Amino acid sequence: MKLKLIYSHENVKRPILAEIILKTNLLINIIEAQVTANIGEMIIDIPSEGERLKEVINYLRSKGVIVKEVIKTIEIDYEKCIGCGACVSSCPANAIKQNSNWNIEFIEEKCIGCKICVYACPIKVIKAV
Amino acid sequence: MEARGVEELRTYEEINKKIKSGDAIVMTATEFIEYVGRYGLEKASKDVDVVTTGTFGAMCSSGAFLNFGHSDPPIKMIRCWLNDVPAYAGLAAVDCYIGASSMSETKPFEYGGGHVIEDLVSGKEVELRAEGRVTDCYPRESIETTVTLDDINQAILVNPRNAYQRYNAAINSSNRTLYTYLGILLPNYGNIHYCGAGELSPLYKDKDFETIGIGTRIFLGGGIGYVIGEGTQHNPQNQMGTISVCGNLKQMSGEYLKGAVFYRYGTTLYVGIGIPIPIINKRVAVSAALKDSEIFTNVIDFGVPSRNRPIVKKVSYAELKSGKVEINGMEVKASPLSSFKYAANIAETLKKWIEKGEFLLSRPVELIPNYREFKPLIIKRRELIVKDVMTKEIIIGKLTDSIKDVAKKLTERGIDHLPIVDSENKLIGIVTSWDLAKAIAQDKKELVDIMTKRVITAKENDLIDTVVKRMEEYKISGVPIINDSNHVIGILTTDDISRKLVRRRLL
Ligand code: SF4
Ligand code: SF4
Repeated sequence: MKLKLIYSHENVKRPILAEIILKTNLLINIIEAQVTANIGEMIIDIPSEGERLKEVINYLRSKGVIVKEVIKTIEIDYEKCIGCGACVSSCPANAIKQNSNWNIEFIEEKCIGCKICVYACPIKVIKAV
Repeated sequence: MEARGVEELRTYEEINKKIKSGDAIVMTATEFIEYVGRYGLEKASKDVDVVTTGTFGAMCSSGAFLNFGHSDPPIKMIRCWLNDVPAYAGLAAVDCYIGASSMSETKPFEYGGGHVIEDLVSGKEVELRAEGRVTDCYPRESIETTVTLDDINQAILVNPRNAYQRYNAAINSSNRTLYTYLGILLPNYGNIHYCGAGELSPLYKDKDFETIGIGTRIFLGGGIGYVIGEGTQHNPQNQMGTISVCGNLKQMSGEYLKGAVFYRYGTTLYVGIGIPIPIINKRVAVSAALKDSEIFTNVIDFGVPSRNRPIVKKVSYAELKSGKVEINGMEVKASPLSSFKYAANIAETLKKWIEKGEFLLSRPVELIPNYREFKPLIIKRRELIVKDVMTKEIIIGKLTDSIKDVAKKLTERGIDHLPIVDSENKLIGIVTSWDLAKAIAQDKKELVDIMTKRVITAKENDLIDTVVKRMEEYKISGVPIINDSNHVIGILTTDDISRKLVRRRLL
């Protein structure tokens, strides 16, 4: 399960994740982290579910960390994508970008899972997962 | 003005001679624009022999003629399917035309003629099913087999309308999401979709059709093809010119012919087309040097369901390609539907072919016209209205009637719907034979308890089409026809409609 953690300036300096790892023995993977002096944002992957996952989430919340679930919703087959852009402006959350070479980029955190892009793609290279 | 197509700067023979000796200067449209920007048009038109272009977008008016060869015993195909997609078989015995937007009968809106063409060209096996008309020449009644592109005698891509010079962009002012051939349009001006390759667009780079005509050799679907004439709906005076093209499918590739689906609209084919523009005179050079910022199109409101959809804004391709367009003070995100990535690859590939001496230019036998009257379809036959079809004999029930009276009326008159009126003869409900069955099942005694009180009605001057849609929407098979004072003046049932339509067809 992927989670997005938002730290405020009070807890950004504390080793909360390390504490959890020690406590639970879970191999938590940090996928992305952007930390400044007073705010931090992190995407982590926890190889767990059910009660244990809930435990982690509750612990994080008890330390004042804002926790959001990142639900994986779509997968793009970049090999087959023709870079047309039909998915780009159809996405209500601006989660698909087109760069200067017209290649597309999926910004998973922004995705709200509406799946409009799955229908919008004329070549059918976006799959709901 | 001098004659269109005058070869003032160089002739086709001179260009081909240079191509053969490897001396031709070839640039893609993007490179040419940059070159003109740096050295000016004068020098650029002297230096550059050929400008290559490209486009890769949905082109519904595309398809292929296929010849399967004869089976034993032979068949005269009158109906024919490829992977369940109907192909046109009103040709000689084993010829058919598979159109890009013909949809699979088992997987409509998912798989269509465009996909069949892509599958064939990618070497896949395709199921062929056909029904025949048994004659002394062709004794076989039906056939079911599989074919590949190699098995087929001829496979000729013939597209009657391709490569629009530019195309309208689409927006949606209504409050519901629209599913169009220009993609999914989010409500309340949520997004803009646009088509056409802008400064790479083959037909915009020779805007006045000075070099493009019957016999022009082009890049088509990854192979070589030819322009065979103007396309359908050719409208060059509005920069909406089109061409028809053909080419041997056997030397094309699935990379540049891709089956596609527009959600809830239908299936189509993405076709890759690249045209070499020989810089034969100054005017052609000027046209080939046009930039995205100099090519304009209209943003059309698809929220208005009419042929004359309003223009919301005139925009340049530069603005569209920036990803954002300002509409009524709002920033609306815009994205293309055709692939600029592939368009650029096509222009680049064509350039390589010419540079390597593998592709020679051809002088058209006849140029594509640069003017063509553009006609809409006028509906000449007066459209059917309710009055033309409805049953005028009025059989109605009163609120005071018993359920038994009503049942008697329905069965004696052989009808299914009985409008119920009050003491002033105004419509207050309707009872159908279904309601009666329910009444018996549930042991109801009063008419008020079983009749439908919110009656769907129509007026005598309503269009039949509109009423049919209303009936479909509410899943009903008949509507009372009322006048302005809510008096019943007739009834219209699906039986009335089918009877009338059958008669029309027979006439
Ligand atoms: S699922 Fe919805 S939000 Fe996510 S990328 Fe697709 S269109 Fe955007
Ligand atoms: S719509 Fe499909 S093919 Fe087009 S850019 Fe998006 S993912 Fe790629």
